[in-house]
Amino acid sequence: MAGATEAATGAADLDLASGPLLEVSDLRVTFRGRRGTVYAVQGISFTVEPGRTLALIGESGAGKTVSARAVMGLLPESAQVTGSIRFKGEQVVGRSEHDLRDYRGRNVAMVFQNPERSLNPTMRVGTQITEALRSHLHLDRKRAHEQAVELLRMVRVPAPERRFYEYAHQLSGGMRQRIMIAMALACGPEVLIADEATTALDVTTQAQIMDLLLDLQRQTGTALLMISHDLGLAATYAEDVIVMYAGQVVERAPAKELFASVRMPYTQALLDAIPQIDREPHVLLPVVGGRPPDLSALVPGCPFAPRCPGVQQDCREQAPTLAEHEPRRWWACWHPLNRAAQ
Amino acid sequence: MSVPAADLIIGPLEPVTAEAAARPQARGWLRSAEIVIPGGILLVLLFFCFIWPLVYQVPKPVGGSLLTTNLPLWSPGHILGTDMVGDDVMSRILYGGRVSFEVAAAVQVIGLVIGGLIGMVAAYRGGWVEAVLMRVVDVFIAFPSLVLVLAIADSLGPSEMHVIWALSAFSIPAFARVARAATLRLRDQPFVVAARLAGTRTWRIMAGHLVPNMMPQLVTFGMLGAGITIILEGALDFLGYGIPPPTASWGNMIATGESFISVYPRYVIVPSIFLLVTVLCLNLLGDGLRSRWGVR
Repeated sequence: MAGATEAATGAADLDLASGPLLEVSDLRVTFRGRRGTVYAVQGISFTVEPGRTLALIGESGAGKTVSARAVMGLLPESAQVTGSIRFKGEQVVGRSEHDLRDYRGRNVAMVFQNPERSLNPTMRVGTQITEALRSHLHLDRKRAHEQAVELLRMVRVPAPERRFYEYAHQLSGGMRQRIMIAMALACGPEVLIADEATTALDVTTQAQIMDLLLDLQRQTGTALLMISHDLGLAATYAEDVIVMYAGQVVERAPAKELFASVRMPYTQALLDAIPQIDREPHVLLPVVGGRPPDLSALVPGCPFAPRCPGVQQDCREQAPTLAEHEPRRWWACWHPLNRAAQ
Repeated sequence: MSVPAADLIIGPLEPVTAEAAARPQARGWLRSAEIVIPGGILLVLLFFCFIWPLVYQVPKPVGGSLLTTNLPLWSPGHILGTDMVGDDVMSRILYGGRVSFEVAAAVQVIGLVIGGLIGMVAAYRGGWVEAVLMRVVDVFIAFPSLVLVLAIADSLGPSEMHVIWALSAFSIPAFARVARAATLRLRDQPFVVAARLAGTRTWRIMAGHLVPNMMPQLVTFGMLGAGITIILEGALDFLGYGIPPPTASWGNMIATGESFISVYPRYVIVPSIFLLVTVLCLNLLGDGLRSRWGVR
């Protein structure tokens, strides 16, 4: 009985806080360079809910990382950001570097792709964790040390007391990525962005790191925004999936439903390009032909039209807009796949 | 058909791996010799210049007896002989070496600290801060250096301190350029971005993340710079704008010896050899450290 009450209160708490943690709407990022303007992100919208895992999927150059960096307020000065990014209702776009200090790390933290270069080669890994603790939580040296060792234990680094004093070159790639996760989690962020966090790792380590991230998410209730080009990874670990192409969202759905039946031909093409063990040997892999469009020269029509196997005349004339065609399923396509005749 | 193909693949692979295994060792030995030999010679020179006169009764570099002028090399009590006023040449070399090393070290340290700071702050801050700082640096670099040094030395008058400041006028801009380039490379490294994301304060990012990672580059540059400084200091002495005699320096020893070059060429040759060996060793050490640390 008591357990039931507790569960009910828990649910109520969750309801109170059930507004999205992070609300991105109509985010546009353009880079003005000497050789023209690059429209890297062209009006994307998504929300990150507390305790959930959202995957942002797409080829390289689709605008995933630029979007994530915009959320962190990490874009270079040459980038123009419009639209809104709200964390718990507070606008992030246009804040100064100084104002962003508390937001970064405490509210939203990020794990990078490259564990080789994400750690300072001249600094003990422990010091790099205590740095965050001391600047955000104002812990003294001793408390910060204890906390850092605790974090290392939490990300399952063996012998954390000893590892604290080691340097990055003494650690394996997986170990370094664990350190990076410990650094990101140091100040208890509510949203964790993992930008291709496991791409540089081998498959076994990748699974370990992803399991660790999900475990930590369960323990801390952090929302996870994972950015990846790996559909398999998204299918396994994410609850919701957003597929990006040429700076736009082209499909958005709960992971289970998405992979059960894909609507957008681009997503299908990505799925087909995954090598499968039961495929006939010595048969060419059906890769997505052609190249992603040049983001500095925008043309009318669906951006995927030149590469789409099911392209029709109307695709070339007018770009489809992203809309919720079925409950919780959004796509931007005139001729979606796998739809029952209506 | 498949068997010879396999042979073809495995055949040429083996000697390559054997050679690859042998190479790092040979290179390791060579690379440590690159550092140990010039470094060792410099340490010996430093020892004899700074410590030897303290522990051993070395003849005074000034106030020699006029009864023993122009003694030849290997004279008893005067290994390198005496000069035209009877001062012991070996002693003048040692005390003169002190001046060279002091000036070189001071100029490089001043350049590294002030120039390094200017370059790092400029590159990390960017915007107008960078524009202003680097344009000032550019002006100093564009100025004909020896003329500038002569002008400074001339207006301040000859003394070791003034030589140091005059030569720093261009070790500072040179270090600023190197530090700026290094900071630009480091600034967007993921670990610096991660530190920024962790809310680390700017001065801590500079002290903890930027400085330690650009030190190899700055130190190698300083080694090469020290060689140039010693030559420039010698040139200033030679022209009479540097260390004024009777204080010994390699530059003014060459300058005073010059008038006697037809009779006693050793007055010019001996300090020149020390100058040459020191500068050569500094350059070799700089190159050795550069390849050891993988600095471009």
